[in-house]
Amino acid sequence: MHAVHHSEPTPAVGACAGGDMPLRLEGVTKRYGARTVLDGVSVEVPPGITGLVGPNGAGKSTLVRAILGLVRLAAGSARVYGLDPATVPLAVRRRIGVVPEDDCSVPGLSGVEMVQYAARLSGLPSTEALRRAHEVLDWCDAGQERYREVETLSVGMRQKVAFAAAIVHDPDLVILDEPTNGLDPLERRAMLGRLVALARDHGKTILVSTHVLRDVQSICDRLVLLVRGRVRLAGSIAELTGTGTDELRLRGAGPTARLVECLTAHGVAAREVADGGGVLLRAADTAALHAVWSAARDAGFAVESLAADRRPLEDVFLAALAAADAADAGQPEDEVRSHAPA
Amino acid sequence: MPLHDVGYRPWTGTPRPRGAAGVIAGTGIRLAFKSRWLRRVLLFAWSPALVFAGGFFAFEQAVEESARGEPVSPTRRLDSFGTIGALVADSLGGRLDEPEAARRTVWSRLLLAFMRAPQAVLLAVVVGLVAPKLIAGDLRARAWLVYFTRPLGRTDYILGKVLTLAAIVGLVTLVPALVLWIVGVLVSPSVWVAVATSDLPLRIVAAAVAVTLPTVLLALAYSSLTAESRIATFAWFATWVACWIAHGALTGADMAAEAARAPTAQRGFDRLLGQVAGDPRLPRDGRPPLGWLARAAGLERTVDRWSWLSLYHAQGVVQAWIFGIEDRLTVVLPPLLALVAVALVSLVILFRRVDAPARA
Repeated sequence: MHAVHHSEPTPAVGACAGGDMPLRLEGVTKRYGARTVLDGVSVEVPPGITGLVGPNGAGKSTLVRAILGLVRLAAGSARVYGLDPATVPLAVRRRIGVVPEDDCSVPGLSGVEMVQYAARLSGLPSTEALRRAHEVLDWCDAGQERYREVETLSVGMRQKVAFAAAIVHDPDLVILDEPTNGLDPLERRAMLGRLVALARDHGKTILVSTHVLRDVQSICDRLVLLVRGRVRLAGSIAELTGTGTDELRLRGAGPTARLVECLTAHGVAAREVADGGGVLLRAADTAALHAVWSAARDAGFAVESLAADRRPLEDVFLAALAAADAADAGQPEDEVRSHAPA
Repeated sequence: MPLHDVGYRPWTGTPRPRGAAGVIAGTGIRLAFKSRWLRRVLLFAWSPALVFAGGFFAFEQAVEESARGEPVSPTRRLDSFGTIGALVADSLGGRLDEPEAARRTVWSRLLLAFMRAPQAVLLAVVVGLVAPKLIAGDLRARAWLVYFTRPLGRTDYILGKVLTLAAIVGLVTLVPALVLWIVGVLVSPSVWVAVATSDLPLRIVAAAVAVTLPTVLLALAYSSLTAESRIATFAWFATWVACWIAHGALTGADMAAEAARAPTAQRGFDRLLGQVAGDPRLPRDGRPPLGWLARAAGLERTVDRWSWLSLYHAQGVVQAWIFGIEDRLTVVLPPLLALVAVALVSLVILFRRVDAPARA
């Protein structure tokens, strides 16, 4: 577990010089009356895809509003590409595109009009805005539905329009709140593919706020876990889900015990994992990997997958939640960790 | 993938630093005109201009006939435009033996009557149709998320909405009044009328602003207080009706008190009928015949001490001041301050409310 002290910036993965860092939060605190919604949030988000996760009421939406300069902070500061949203909110928003979780539209506008309107509000000239709206909607596979009023569109289509509206002005930082809500599996995959393309092919920084840990694990480079207004966990997905060993997990169908024997006979250290968890083994070089395939053939074991052993992100999430509960209740963290899912 | 899909391409243009208010206004106006009812009301709103244009024509005919030395009197005969023009001039306090002064008086009063009587009422209807949805609709559809995640602030948003409504209100007040002035000039026998009344377009603009600003801001403030446009619509019309009733009741009480003090005074139809019939028992008190018309239209110089209570009446007094008909500061100041107060309070409400969900 990589619990992070909330008062220090948490460089995730990748080094970025101060002014170039897309997003840097230092001790961001927001209170509504006596209620503290964000409590000294300090985190840095470098280019790539970062997942912002947390239970309901963790303060994710308030954090997004703080980044946009919509709320006045009680303490701390936010910097977006070196710009302070509290002092130059419009300059900050010019570089940000936001897909809100809530359904939002301007009543009476069609999909393409909506995207064009968003582009014009971001400063694009009228003709250019229309051309760009069509281009982005094409990329989002919006089809002819774009000519229908947004209120009459399906949830998935509205999500596409909202996404197109968020990226139509070519922002450097894209913030998405539950971007796969209401999408069917095919559309969900396509949407995640677009996010990956934006990040990898166009160098965008993407911050995805979501509850779907599977999405986070599949596309995000980094993760920030927010619980009750505090950052409880931040780091690269590989780092967070790693087991601290260089073991590989082999899954498949066949006699597992026999496979372990054969692997040992081939000089590969291996052990069986209970409850159908496959076999954990160490194969440091190509020769060892060849030995794994030979052992599997000898044991009559049909291999389905061989991958670095990772903890499911859900386990990491639940363990961090339990640790956060314990920390807030004053319970020793080690004790909680021992009860948390491995 | 569609054939025309060129993939995601970066945008390399330069964004315009300003102009969001204009974009909001342009889109708002276009969306408002999707309403069939608004289009109908706007079409209807131009019809009174025809009647008033007839008034200008008749008056200028009377001036022309008077200049030719023809005897023009309201009671002479009723088969010429000049006679009708004389009637109009008489009722609005213009003396045809002084054509220049009469023209100034009659034109100003006709324009004021046009802006007050039919247009101000139609304006309330138009605003009631358009304004409630402008912000309440955005709140309901969470469109504030569209606006306030973009590079625009509250001022841009409010300005955009104000411009939207002001443009539509202008189509009921400012534009028809200006067109009426142009038509008045065109139907006059002499184009020099344009020079003689050249200050009127500016006065029309000022009078339209005096109506538009407080009206628009108040209606938008109501719209920003709720996500239900129906409630905002109700509040808007209820305010007009309640203020009107309050003003009417208090003014009525004043008039009753005045009548009790001078029970023998000639009033209303009695005086009118007496003067039209040439009743020698009715003394001419210097007031023009058909002066009740001017009083009904609010054009007569009366001390209406409750006008500040009602948006409609307050605007009327201020407009009368702008057109040079009312010049007593004690009469103008209370309604003027009331309108300024309404505008300021509405503005404060708007600034506090429009992005409240974004800050919550």
